[in-house]
Formats: sequence, structure tokens, C-alpha cells
Amino acid sequence: MNSKYDVVVIGGGHNGLVNAAYLARAGKKVLVLERRHVLGGAAVTEEVFPGFKFSVCSYVVSLLRPEIIRELDLPRHGLEILPLDGTFTPMPNGDYLWRVNDHARTRREIARHSRLDAEAYDEYGKAMIEMAHFVKPIMSMTPPDPTTLDPKGWKNLAFLGRRFQKLSDDDKYNQVQLMTMSAVDFLDQWFETDVLKATMSASGIIGTFLGVRSPGTAYVLLHHYMGEIDGAFRSWGFARGGTGAISNAIADAAREAGVEIRIDAPIEKILLKNGRATGVVLKNGDEIHAGVVSSSVDPRLTFMKMIGEEHLPDDFCTDLKRYKYRGSSGKVNLALDGLPDFKSLPGPGAHLRGAISISPSVEYMERAYDEAKYGRFSRRPYIDMVIPSLTDPSVAPPGKHVMSCFVQYAPYNLKEGNWDEKREEFGDTVVDTIAEHAPNIRNLIRDRQVVTPLDLEREFGLSEGNIFQGELTLEQLFFLRPAPGWAQYRTPIKNLYMCGSATHPGGGIMGAPGRNAALQMLKDI
Amino acid sequence: MAYDVTIIGAGHNGLVAAAYLAKSGLKTLVLERREVVGGGAELDHATGPFSQQIATDLNLKIEFITPKVRVLALSDDGRSISIYNDDVESTVREIEKFSAKDAKSYPEFVETFARIGRVLAPLLSMTPPSIDQPAKGDVWQLGKVGLAFRKLGKKDEYRLLRWGPMAVADLVSEWFETELLRATVAARGIHGAFAGPWSAGTSLGLLWQAAMDGSAIGPSTSVKGGIGALTKALADAATSAGAEIRTGAEVTRIEDSHVMLRSGEPFEARAVVSNADPRTTFLKLLDPVELDPNFLSKLRNYRATGVVAKINLTLSGLPDFRGVDDPAKLSGRIHIGPEIDYLERAFDASKYGEFSREPYLDIVMPSPNVMSIHAQFAPYKLKEGDWTTRRDEFANNVIAHLEKYAPGLRDLIDTVEVITPRDLEETYGLSGGHIHHGEQTLDQFFTFRPLIGWAQYRTPLKRLYLCGAGTHPGGGITGLPGANAAREIARDFKAGKV
Repeated sequence: MNSKYDVVVIGGGHNGLVNAAYLARAGKKVLVLERRHVLGGAAVTEEVFPGFKFSVCSYVVSLLRPEIIRELDLPRHGLEILPLDGTFTPMPNGDYLWRVNDHARTRREIARHSRLDAEAYDEYGKAMIEMAHFVKPIMSMTPPDPTTLDPKGWKNLAFLGRRFQKLSDDDKYNQVQLMTMSAVDFLDQWFETDVLKATMSASGIIGTFLGVRSPGTAYVLLHHYMGEIDGAFRSWGFARGGTGAISNAIADAAREAGVEIRIDAPIEKILLKNGRATGVVLKNGDEIHAGVVSSSVDPRLTFMKMIGEEHLPDDFCTDLKRYKYRGSSGKVNLALDGLPDFKSLPGPGAHLRGAISISPSVEYMERAYDEAKYGRFSRRPYIDMVIPSLTDPSVAPPGKHVMSCFVQYAPYNLKEGNWDEKREEFGDTVVDTIAEHAPNIRNLIRDRQVVTPLDLEREFGLSEGNIFQGELTLEQLFFLRPAPGWAQYRTPIKNLYMCGSATHPGGGIMGAPGRNAALQMLKDI
Repeated sequence: MAYDVTIIGAGHNGLVAAAYLAKSGLKTLVLERREVVGGGAELDHATGPFSQQIATDLNLKIEFITPKVRVLALSDDGRSISIYNDDVESTVREIEKFSAKDAKSYPEFVETFARIGRVLAPLLSMTPPSIDQPAKGDVWQLGKVGLAFRKLGKKDEYRLLRWGPMAVADLVSEWFETELLRATVAARGIHGAFAGPWSAGTSLGLLWQAAMDGSAIGPSTSVKGGIGALTKALADAATSAGAEIRTGAEVTRIEDSHVMLRSGEPFEARAVVSNADPRTTFLKLLDPVELDPNFLSKLRNYRATGVVAKINLTLSGLPDFRGVDDPAKLSGRIHIGPEIDYLERAFDASKYGEFSREPYLDIVMPSPNVMSIHAQFAPYKLKEGDWTTRRDEFANNVIAHLEKYAPGLRDLIDTVEVITPRDLEETYGLSGGHIHHGEQTLDQFFTFRPLIGWAQYRTPLKRLYLCGAGTHPGGGITGLPGANAAREIARDFKAGKV
């Protein structure tokens, strides 16, 4: 086979597909190559046990850019987002905290724990929405190079500076704090209820090897308010049919625009000629030539495996080796015969339809992190659970349920043993932890799938099991992602681009990297 | 009015400010609560980065001593690394014992930080520009720094941008593979901070240190005669310039145009300058009704919870540190905290309100019979008991731990003095017992120190100024906050604003 494409996209994850769709819509001839038998990368639905369909990795839609939904007309291609209402946090003392999207109800619930906090919650919400407005345009911008000597390159920097300048004093203060503080320190300024702070701060650590007290975790608190300003219900929801349905809708839009997609097409290496990328070679030996190669897989796979250090500048290789992955989370997917019954709020109810968060106190969260720092998975981990079958019955047989448990911390590098040996022990720990709050869970489990960080690496091509293709820490964000000087989706290899979560603005089912990269490529080509 | 300026507190920054203000012709009075001048300066044991410019300006009669060894890092297996002052070759030989690779990286490490330090250094002695209305002079200053930044070249520019927010554990592992060396360097990123080496933003400490004296590894310079000699020289400089210093004069209230002593005695002045930390100044010395509630709430959220305790030992003889053959190696700082994980564990304890069982210790022996120990982590608030009941337990634990490195130490001890974070608050007036007058994290730094919009040494009260470590460039015996504040205050006098 030796057909010629304008662009070949490596990886059929959501970013690769978004990237392909935008390029094809601009008239390019695009081919997407996916290693696995199914599209979506980590945004995938698989029938792991007969009749039980799981969003194996990513399990909620949070930040999918509204402009992508609009421009690719995803609802027409089958995307339907169902609301995920609220977060329920059971507490060991028999109480609970249950926040829902209805502000007034949440306020009353918080007032049950602290009147002051209920008042602060209003103020907090307002402040965060202001902040989210400030941050939003940054998401869809190609990061500037602050070291450039070209005044044109300063335009974006100046734009950011002016925007910051225009914020009110209080907003400036909040913005600086959000960018630099720990989630707990930030929340300490607003709230006194421990369980509230613990649950809110949990969103700051998801997918990172940081604790709730680590500086730099406050920023992610904003993500919860991004959806709000887009006019969506907060930001959290399920895709009908599981997370894979998002990828399928994007794939459908891409195909309609003329994109060719191949599955079961693992890539051996990227073809180079005179220092330029000219195509790819598949594992089966097929060569595919293209004017441009766009890689949605992470930099380690792209450069170290598919290109090789010998073809790259030394400094760039050093920077790539310093780029931190450090996966810290795992997933336990449960096929259930019924619904868990929580001691603190017995019986089935609306609280099971939202997220269920095992984050009873700040100390609990921080101790979970401490264990991981020294190379053990948390004996009592932070768990974020959802039961999508309650909202979308199509994913489980009648009367049965699927429960998805995101678990942190599960460090990729274990001090003792390896993940293949520890898999079941890890799964047991998760079930034991849940059982402390919902003892009936043990009798409900029909089947259990444990996804370790090592599985994420082997099965889903996420180096070191990092769900965001690299840590979302300040030194790896914006103009430093994935490497200093290479944050504009370009690479030191001519005609090779990056379009995955390892580029700005990073991981999560956002699609922004794929879209931003496509726009940059169209400008360059 | 009796005085032009009243300065609250005769810490080193208050004295520096007094000397400069008196020199500029203002009638200056310094009021010190304790019977001695110097404030918290005496708690420190290396004057390291005291500004040469200030020493020259004020014609200070002091002699700096730079020991041969900057820091001696001990490990519990009896091996050690000596990091020399200005002697890269000897240091390289020390490091070679552990790793040839690290020995090769070390000179580049030293040069890189010196280079970046030179670019950052001018920031220390400038007034942070206001983000809202940068003054022309500020923009000019910043422009100069920007230009210097450009001159660093792409590689160093990006280094600076990356390192600022990074965990110091990551930074050191980019340079070195030897745990002892990594931990010794990383320790300076967490010294005095409620942070462990894995906390993001701790690399900032190394960059700042490099700005102060060109090295990331921390100061070791001392003044002949000890810190007391420095503060005495500062007091002499102030009084000979015409300032008046009153000790045993505790200010308990700041009111519009005067300050009030505990005795009720008022002092009128056109401007009041507080060397006390921001929380003490605004929350204790002022009536809250004087302040905007918004400002107050921000100030209450200013983080200043101390984690360092000081232990002073007098000894009957020189202790025998394991593996240290030459007593000359004890001339600088002695570092105990051999691994990154060790430092992190020490920090972990403080998160839960416990003091570290295996603390990070920074020790100086100004003479063979005196040992000054900074023990970290000793959180201001203990979960169980309090510092009154647990003082001895704490000290015994530190000493027992130190014995692993210096067997037989206990038998040499004549006296033990323990200064807990509580004492730091009560005796030295450091709110929260924080030796730097507040955490030095990115959000409480430079133009955000102590608060965004109030980093120009001025305060919401027209006549009130700050000049302590709670202002830019922060803690350490630099004298720079005092000098910078004096410059702004003198400027306001000249402009007729006060």
C-alpha cells in the first residue's frame, strides 16, 4: 500500500479524532491510525463482561470544549450528554455531605454542617465564575514562546497581561492564589467544614502525583466552573452509551468530513527523510506516506519509540526525559447485581446518580498521598465512583448495574512487587474501602476489572499510566508543555506535530489540544 | 511633632531602616519591646547574604567571616560531603567519592545558579512594582531585569521559568544522583517553610538564595562576634546618624499619628514604620475598625505558621561527628537530612501536628563549645499537648537523634536552651512563630508580599509603613526589606505625602 495523504494522525483517541476532523474540514486528506481494535483511546466504552459496558478509563465528561461540540455538530453524530447530578460523600461518623447542582439545596445541605460555609459558598461560586471567565480563552490559544525575540510572538503574552490588568483587585488576588496555592490552603480561606474541603480539593489531585496540600493543586478547582459559564449543567455528565460514545461521535463527524480511519493498525515508526517526517511504517510493514504526521500519543512514544533519540537534538531529548508522567491512579470497574447501600444514607436514591466520593477528611486525603510518595498504593484511597447504569440503562442488563471507581493513589512505580502481582490486592483494598461505607457491596459484585497504571501503559499507550499524558503541574503547563520551546504543537522534526493531551491545555476529555493543533497546522501548511 | 518617624521593633530590618532614615535627615525613633536590640536576628546563625551595599552605605564596622566549608552534609553511615565556599575543585573531589557523574555536574550547577542569581539579584533591592499602577521608575527597573533575563539565553530563560514552580526534589534529581547531595541542596528550598522537598514551588527557595549570594546551597558567612555584633553595628550606625533607640519599650497600639507603649506613654510621629510581621502589625497593634474588612480577611489568610524550633547547646568539648576527621570541616553549616525521603517524612509529621521524630537539622558551631541547631519540623500547633508540656520531649528527641551522627554528644552537654515556635511568638513577637514573618511561597512573594497591591512597603493607612521580613525580599539576614522600605518612606517625605 502506498497511497499519499496530506496528514496521517497517530492514535484514534478523542484528540487524534478531533485533530483529524478539523483538518479534513479544511480540505485535507487525512488518515487516522489506531493501534487497538476500538477507537477512543482512553475515552472508550468496552463490554468487559457480557452485557456490562464500561467506560474503562475516563468515565465522565467534564470539559469537552463547547466550540468543538458546536463546530463538529456532535449531537447530530450521536452525542448525548446525560446529567451527573451532584457529589455524595459518606462520612465515617454516619453523616454525609451531599452537594447537588441545585444551588439552594446545596446551600441548605452545607448549612447543616456550617452556616458560615453556606454563606461563603455563594461568594465562592461567584468568585470562581469570574476566574473561569479569565482562564477560558487561554484554553483555546496556542501558547506563546516567552523567550522569543520576535515581537509578533509577544502578542499573546501582552494579551494575557492586559486581561490580568483588567481584573478587579480581588480577582487578581484570587487568580494568583489559584495558580500557585494548594487546594486545601485555598479552600481554608473560604470554608471550615473538613469534609467539604476534602471533597472539593479532591478535584485538584485527580490524575496527578500531588496531595491536596501540594501547591499548584488549587487551579483545577476552576475546572468545575468552566462548564457553568458555557451554559452547561456544571461540567459533569455522562455520555449515553459510555465515554466511548464521545469518541464515536467525533469519529463519525471526522468520517463525514472525509477522514479515513483504520483500527488494528499499530505503528512501528515514523518515517524520516532529511530530518522531515514523511509518513509512518506500520507494524505489519506497510508504509504510509503523508505530507504531515500528527501524533496524538505522548512524547515518550512519539519521540523515543517511533523516532529515536539519534534523530533528535540533545537538549530536546533531555527535556523529554525530564517530562514527568508518574501515573498515580487506577480504576476498578464493577459489574453489580444491585445497588450499594450506604450506611449514612440507606436505600436507593438520587445520591447514587451522581458521583460518590470517598474523601471523608483532608487528613484522609493527605495520608493517602503520603503512602504513594514512598511507593505504596494507598491502603485507604480516595475513590470517585459513579453508577452510570442508573442514568443510562443501556450499559447494563436489566436490574444490573455497572459501577466505575476511579482510585487514587496507585503509583506506577511500586517500591515492593509489581502491579501484576499486586492487582488483586489493590482491587481488594478498593472494595474494602467502599465496604466501610456500603457493606453490602461485597455481595453485589459479579465481576471485577482492575485497571492498574501498568495496564494503562500497556493497553492504552499512556506512559507510566498517566491519564493526562504527563503531569499537570505548573512547570509542565502552557508554554512549557510538553517541553520548553515546543509548546506550539510543532516539534524539532519538520512536518511532525503533536496534538494529544501532552500539549496545551492538557488532559481530560477536552479536545482542545486536537483542535488547537489542527488550527496551528493549517496555519503552517 | 516630636519625631518624623517611629519604628516599631529593633530587629535588623528596623535598625537598617532607622539608619537610612536618620541619614536622610529624618528625626527617627526606634522602640524595642525587649531589653536588647536585634530582634529575631539572633535566632539565625549565619548572616550569609547580608547586603554588602548596606554594609557600605552605613559604613558598618563589621568583619564578615567566610568559612572554608559552606556546608558539611552528614549521613548516618558515617560518610559525608563537604561543600566548600568558592572552591569548586575541592568540592568536586568530595562528590567524586559518591558519584563521578555528580562530580561532573557540580561545576555546571554552581555556574548556572551563579549566572541566574546575577540576573535576579537586582530584584532584591528594588521595590516590587505595583500591578495596578506601576510607577515609571518601577517599569524602568523591571525593564532592566527583563533585559538581563533576555541576555541569559533561551536555555537559562526556560530553566528559570520551569524551576520557579517546581518541586525542589525534581530540580535536584535533574542535576545529581547521590541522595546525600540531592537532599543537602534541596533542604535550602524548604528551610523555614511549611513544605517538603516534594512540594511544588520549593525550587523558588534555591533561585532566591542564588540571587542573594550567588549560590543555591545556602549561606554560611558569619560576622565576627556573631549576629549580635551585626545588630550592634547597625544600632551604632543608626544612633550615630541621629536616630534614637529605646529598649524595653513595648508598643501595644498604633493610632493615627502616634504609637502607644504598654505603659500608656504615647509617641507622636509623622510616620510609623513597623518592623513587626504583617499579622502582628495589623491584627494586634491596630484597631480592626481602622481597616477595610476585605483587607483584614486577606491578611488573616496570610500564611505564617512556623515549623522551626531552635536549640542552643553549650558543650564541654568538641563533639565527635562520625566520619569527620578534620574539625575545620565543622566551620560552616552542618546539615542533617541525608535523603529526600527523609526530609519529606520530617515534613509529613508536621502536616498532622506532630514534630518530626527524625528532624531536618541545620547546625552551626560558632565555637567548639556552642552548638546552634535549627530543628525542623516543629509545627506551631501541636495536635497533642502543647509546647509547654512537650518542650523537653522535643529537645531530647533532637539530641538523641543527633547522637546517631555525633555519638557521645549527650555527655558533653552543659546547658540546653529550647526555643519553640511558641517562644518565637511570645519572646520575639513572631506571629505564628514563623522565622520569615510568613511563608515564602509564590503567592506571598515579590509583588504579592505581604499582599497583592501592598508590596510597596505602604499600607492602607497613610502614615503606616512596613519594613520587616513580611515584605519583599523576605526573610533572612539581608537587611534589604529595611533598606527598601526606608527608600520609599524617604521618597514620600520628600514628596510631601506624609
